[in-house]
Amino acid sequence: MRFNKVTPDLQKEMSIAFSEVSFSYHPEQDPVINKVSLEANPGDVIGIKGSSGSGKTTLFRLLLGFETPTSGKILYKGKELKPERIKVLRKQTSWLPQDLDLGEGPLSEVFFYPFTFKANKSKIPSEEKVLEIFAALGLNKNIWTQLFSDLSTGQRQRVGLALGYLMDKNILILDEPTSALDDESKEKVENLLFDGTRIIISASHDPWWLERCSKVIDLNAS
Amino acid sequence: MDIIDLTWPQLAIGFAILIIPAFILWKFKTGLLSKMGIAVVRMTLQLIFVGYYLEYLFEYDNAWINMGWIFIMVVVADYATIDRSELKRTKGLLISIFGATFLGIIIIDIFFLRFVIQLPELLAAQYTIPITGMVLGNCLRSNVIGINEFYYGLSGHQERYRYFLANGASRREAIYPFFQGALKKSANPTLASMATIGLVSLPGMMTGQILSGSSPLIAIKYQIMIMLAIFSGTILSVYLGIRFSSKFVFDKQDNFNKNILKKN
Repeated sequence: MRFNKVTPDLQKEMSIAFSEVSFSYHPEQDPVINKVSLEANPGDVIGIKGSSGSGKTTLFRLLLGFETPTSGKILYKGKELKPERIKVLRKQTSWLPQDLDLGEGPLSEVFFYPFTFKANKSKIPSEEKVLEIFAALGLNKNIWTQLFSDLSTGQRQRVGLALGYLMDKNILILDEPTSALDDESKEKVENLLFDGTRIIISASHDPWWLERCSKVIDLNAS
Repeated sequence: MDIIDLTWPQLAIGFAILIIPAFILWKFKTGLLSKMGIAVVRMTLQLIFVGYYLEYLFEYDNAWINMGWIFIMVVVADYATIDRSELKRTKGLLISIFGATFLGIIIIDIFFLRFVIQLPELLAAQYTIPITGMVLGNCLRSNVIGINEFYYGLSGHQERYRYFLANGASRREAIYPFFQGALKKSANPTLASMATIGLVSLPGMMTGQILSGSSPLIAIKYQIMIMLAIFSGTILSVYLGIRFSSKFVFDKQDNFNKNILKKN
């Protein structure tokens, strides 16, 4: 594990904290997230564990501004993450959902769409580089011309990890990143993503992955 | 040959042909007989009504009255677009779709009436009313296809939209693929009809002109013009409709408000 490359400046520049955050979908229902607190600084790999329905994915939705906490605060760079600052945060994040949906076209087309965003334009990779990362993740290059919708869940997950790596963001948010990977591929993911400078927040059931996290938060305990 | 003015009794004979479709629909127990009856009655009454008020519009031929007619037609089209797109009639949607349709129609009207036909009097009833009516009817159909595709596509693939946002996209960048899909789907029917027009069907406007005594060569020139107007008008109004209405359906964090959908 490599968690020691953070300079004090970077530490100040990027940090995410949840302070007693609760959330429920309806006011009369029990909260899905109940007073969760966490802090993530550059170099941290946070693992969030908990049974199905314990709110792991909801936690990411809150961080990315797709839901709003019913109480508590989310802080980014030490300041409360208000709606207008969500957009600033999203330019720094790469999110890998459990079931990636890039669109209907062939992978060779839809893969590059996120690199047309102004925030990612400087990171456009060459096709050779993409296929090199695919090979590192155990993806056959034949999938490049297949329709994205025809790929298996495991292939889509690896494609998402390749995108997350190539976008080279400061904050990676990964939902069950290793659920469809074998041990060899998991090690490759670790080598690619754990660079010691970025924040990685991940939800996982996988003991192998959780062992490699610098902090583990159990949502069942909150 | 002189023009034969169809008398009301002659037209009544035309209704007799409905026995054939009515029999087929009844035989196959489609349950569409009453729907057919209502549709035929509505079509007849609406067109009789249109005939009378167009007589009035043509007689007065006043630019302000004609503009008022366009305004009312756009309001009707606005409500119809929102209802048939399966959206709720929110204030924001009503205003934005009205604005988009009205602006689209006015741009097309001014271009064709002023610069192509070169009318001495802009908004003269004889030209303004039929051209606006044809373009507006097609804009309505395309708007329904485009706007429904855009908002229901966004709702059905919300995780894709969110993925783009969470990976650095602005709202405009994240909705781009949905916008593209909506434009493609709404343009296809008009493109298909332009590609086959004259080969498999004679268009209604041209047929009407020929039946009322125009030379086929005059009729085709007007038909070509109207097809250009329809295609440009539909693409413009779908584009403006999505662009304007999308200002009212996202929150400050760019989350799509699914509550505007009737089915969500």
